Amino acid sequence: MRPFKRKCCGGAQDTVKKPDDYSMTIAFLGNPNCGKTTLFNAYTGANLKVANWPGVTVEKVEGAYKFKDEKIRLVDLPGIYSLTSYTMEETVSRNFILSGDADVVINVVDASCLERGLYLTLQLLELGKPVVIALNMMDIVLKRGMEIDLHRLPEMLGVPVIPVSARKRTGLDILIHAAVHHKDATGPDRLIHEHKDVSRHAHDHHSEYTMVYSDDIEDMIDETEAALLNKYPQIENVRWHAIKTLERDGEVTGKYPLERAETPADVESEIINQKYSFIGEVIDEVMVHKQRSDALTDKLDRAFTHRIWGIPIFLGIMAAVFFLTFFIGDLIKSLLELGIGALSDATAKGLASANASEIVVSLLVDGIIGGVGTIITFLPNIFILFLALAFLEDSGYMARVAYVMEGVMSRLGLSGKAFIPMLLGFGCTVPAIMASRALESKRDRFKVMLVTPFMSCSARLTIYILFAEMFFAGYAFLAAFSMYLLGILVAIAVSAVLHLIDRKKEVNYLLIELPEYKLPDARTVGIYVWEKVKDYLLKAGTTIFIATLIIWALMYFGPDGFVGEGSDKSFAAIIGGPLSVAFVPIGLGFWEIVVALIAGISAKEVVVSSCAVLFGIADASANTAGFAAALEGIGFGPLNAVCLMVFCLLYIPCTATLATIRKESKSVAWTAFAAFFQLAVAYVITLIVYQIGLLIV
Amino acid sequence: MFLSSAETGRRYIVEKIALPFETQRRLEALGMTHRAPVDVLNRKGKGILIIRLRGTRFALGRNITENIEVEPDETV
Repeated sequence: MRPFKRKCCGGAQDTVKKPDDYSMTIAFLGNPNCGKTTLFNAYTGANLKVANWPGVTVEKVEGAYKFKDEKIRLVDLPGIYSLTSYTMEETVSRNFILSGDADVVINVVDASCLERGLYLTLQLLELGKPVVIALNMMDIVLKRGMEIDLHRLPEMLGVPVIPVSARKRTGLDILIHAAVHHKDATGPDRLIHEHKDVSRHAHDHHSEYTMVYSDDIEDMIDETEAALLNKYPQIENVRWHAIKTLERDGEVTGKYPLERAETPADVESEIINQKYSFIGEVIDEVMVHKQRSDALTDKLDRAFTHRIWGIPIFLGIMAAVFFLTFFIGDLIKSLLELGIGALSDATAKGLASANASEIVVSLLVDGIIGGVGTIITFLPNIFILFLALAFLEDSGYMARVAYVMEGVMSRLGLSGKAFIPMLLGFGCTVPAIMASRALESKRDRFKVMLVTPFMSCSARLTIYILFAEMFFAGYAFLAAFSMYLLGILVAIAVSAVLHLIDRKKEVNYLLIELPEYKLPDARTVGIYVWEKVKDYLLKAGTTIFIATLIIWALMYFGPDGFVGEGSDKSFAAIIGGPLSVAFVPIGLGFWEIVVALIAGISAKEVVVSSCAVLFGIADASANTAGFAAALEGIGFGPLNAVCLMVFCLLYIPCTATLATIRKESKSVAWTAFAAFFQLAVAYVITLIVYQIGLLIV
Repeated sequence: MFLSSAETGRRYIVEKIALPFETQRRLEALGMTHRAPVDVLNRKGKGILIIRLRGTRFALGRNITENIEVEPDETV
């Protein structure tokens, strides 16, 4: 038997050293959406995002797990369908496996989708790595009345197969135990195949390899192996290299070129077909009570992906999400406001009785409670919004949106898949831009990066809630919802213009797996929402807090020292005054607003907290009447409020978003262009809104 | 005929795929090879399809389906 090599073959030969305190490295590899991250979270206690659509994990993530006395390094990899990689995630996963950094690969296979999962397994086995299969979602399989012969499956594959349920956290210890014991495996375990065809091939590979091809292909593999060994005597795992050469894999043929006629295209096709026929054999033997499809998914898809009703249903779902965010969120919000109002009064009274200086009272009441406190009151709205998005993401609906929107998006030169990052943008632009990695085309990624910031994120929601409720009372929801629609329209219009001027018209190919629907998992939704709420509170305590303090200092101090509230002698007025001239044509020519907008680049909520500080309103969202009066005092009316909402929706994204765009595009120039472009779009559209508004009002 | 004109609820057999190298490779890796069976589950527009291929549901854009030559599977 030819020994399996631990350090293998091809691809990136990263020599990443394992940190010494880890005894071994285990990598999780599997198809997209098969539960790798759920498993990783279960082991490491991490709270990485999990959802029910392919492509949630786009980066390799590491964690530690203590098993007995060993500290094991676990690596979660983005999901892939095959080791022939064409997308960014596939490249990340493939390179990590090829680097030889992992001692064992845990191949996570969705038991309810065995056919698809085993294709990657066969490829992985050809690579010659020690592999242990984690047969995930066993609970779903049992529920559907299917059974899998767990005795026969490892016999046919030659590697251990451990049934687990990552969601229910069963089988976890056994899996790690198997992986630890299997790390020095030098070949497949005993293989027992019952092939019907009699082979005339010179070598009997059936005891050596899990995947044995037809005689014709095996002859070609032998011939290629000989040619490779002749030219590259030191080559490792020559069978894998020979198969990849026959498959015309770019990386392998580039690294180990052979001077001979290229293999015909149908050989590659044949290799794939024979793998699937072997999988067919496996499934026929191990699967009892095969049930082809999930009845619930078929039923739901009849409505959600209906050719006419698909889009109206999608818009209805989004309207419901924002309705809940607004109304249910506001109910809880009013309670928080009472608390913060009481805190503000108590602080002011307490400080007054303690004869605290005017500066200290102003800092605490106007600055901290006024600014940061106002932001905290929006927490219920943020909570509901993310809860709703978590339901959408974990139910399986997200991937359907790509199908539903394909018609519209293809007219804009984008794939329907590009709509997923845009939709995530309703939550937060940062992960939305990260999600654009799942797009195959680089041009698409750049386009999506440019238009995703136009989707109203949760931070901008605070601005809409405050200003819409202040100026449009009964119509507040409509005013805010129209901002969401405007954001989508601008994103679509910008994409359309980009498509028109794009001379190199690329054709887009929508290709996305549609997972089965499921009831969202409480733990998954809980983690998702908790992470978002934590981020929001953290942001309120750091970025927003600091920005608010700076605004307070600029507002209450001037060249002459402490100048008190609303003074023209403050630094804020000195900075904002001259700049406000440029904002007059768009209805925002007020120095306070200009200063708030500049501060808002740090985080969009800062526009709200800054306004609260600048107009000296402690807890602006509870005291809307006082706030509105203060604004009307400087001539800021409903039309100006609309202009402010529109401008905030569209102008320069927050610093966190800019940093993400820079990281993903790897270009400072592009990031600067994106920021400038958005500012220009915001200015032009707000100008149009204001000028038309002036004619009507 | 091409997959783009396939009817919902029927099974087809892939005859020929004529797509750019990378897209074709991606499809092949998913099991869309010569003689592979494809079930059409849903369709809209001029050929945006939901299919079942080797046990998994996929959504395919028209740019893909109009370049896949198929023949109806008469055995089902």
